Amino acid sequence: MREKRPALIVTFPTTAAAMEAERFCLAQGIPGRVIPVPREITAGCGLAWKAPPEAEAQMTEALGAAGLTWSDMRVLLV
Amino acid sequence: MMRVNAMGDACPIPVVKTKNAIQSLGEAGGMVETLVDNEIAVQNLMKMAQQKGYSVKSEKLGAGRFQVVMTVGPGAVEDSGLAECCIAPVSEGRNVVAAISSGTMGTGAEELGRTLLKGFLYALSQQDQLPRTILFYNGGASITCEGSASLEDLKSMEAQGVEILTCGTCLDFYGLKDQLRVGEVTNMYTIAEKLTGADLVVKP
Repeated sequence: MREKRPALIVTFPTTAAAMEAERFCLAQGIPGRVIPVPREITAGCGLAWKAPPEAEAQMTEALGAAGLTWSDMRVLLV
Repeated sequence: MMRVNAMGDACPIPVVKTKNAIQSLGEAGGMVETLVDNEIAVQNLMKMAQQKGYSVKSEKLGAGRFQVVMTVGPGAVEDSGLAECCIAPVSEGRNVVAAISSGTMGTGAEELGRTLLKGFLYALSQQDQLPRTILFYNGGASITCEGSASLEDLKSMEAQGVEILTCGTCLDFYGLKDQLRVGEVTNMYTIAEKLTGADLVVKP
């Protein structure tokens, strides 16, 4: 079985919001990447931002300052 | 003698590291000693040496510690496909081949399609059963090249034994011949062989 590691997973209300957040994070050099929302969070389809587990404060501040909205932010084993 | 430490490395990394060491020997040839920690890696290295005609011997140095020494004759250094050297197949059951024929997944909005393909390759890399081969052609060729957001996922799969092959004609057409960053270049005969020989072709 593949080894799972902790990561900060940020979900968004819409696909467009997730893509907008991706553009923002990449432009700002914020560490992380877009992944499909892990099945542990929802069986539905969607995109999430995956970042190092310690990045929660940085993500909250950066997304908040840019006026970007997110639905949920939590550390998960993925 | 060149020494390669491949302790803790999974197939095909010991073979890749050894091949790189052999290539650095140059025309003069010489000896390469590789240290590995498992029998499968020993077998993979022995198989590679036999295929290439290098003399080879192996020795168990201790618990989880093996030494493989290859002697490469002058002028015997050559480039080779490595994936075939892997004894432990990534997909032990069906021969699953993924074919990436475009830089996007599905048709529709281009930006969404690119994001979806990135997501697909990430999700593919997270499967317990990986495909045996991933083919990249036409617009898909850029995915294995410099600047692709999927390089990390593809390198991770390659390190676990997945064969990553990109169409050489396509790299040439798109001016990407010097930009390939993961896997090997292939041709249409191999692409046709892989597709027709597959138990299942996955085309996102």
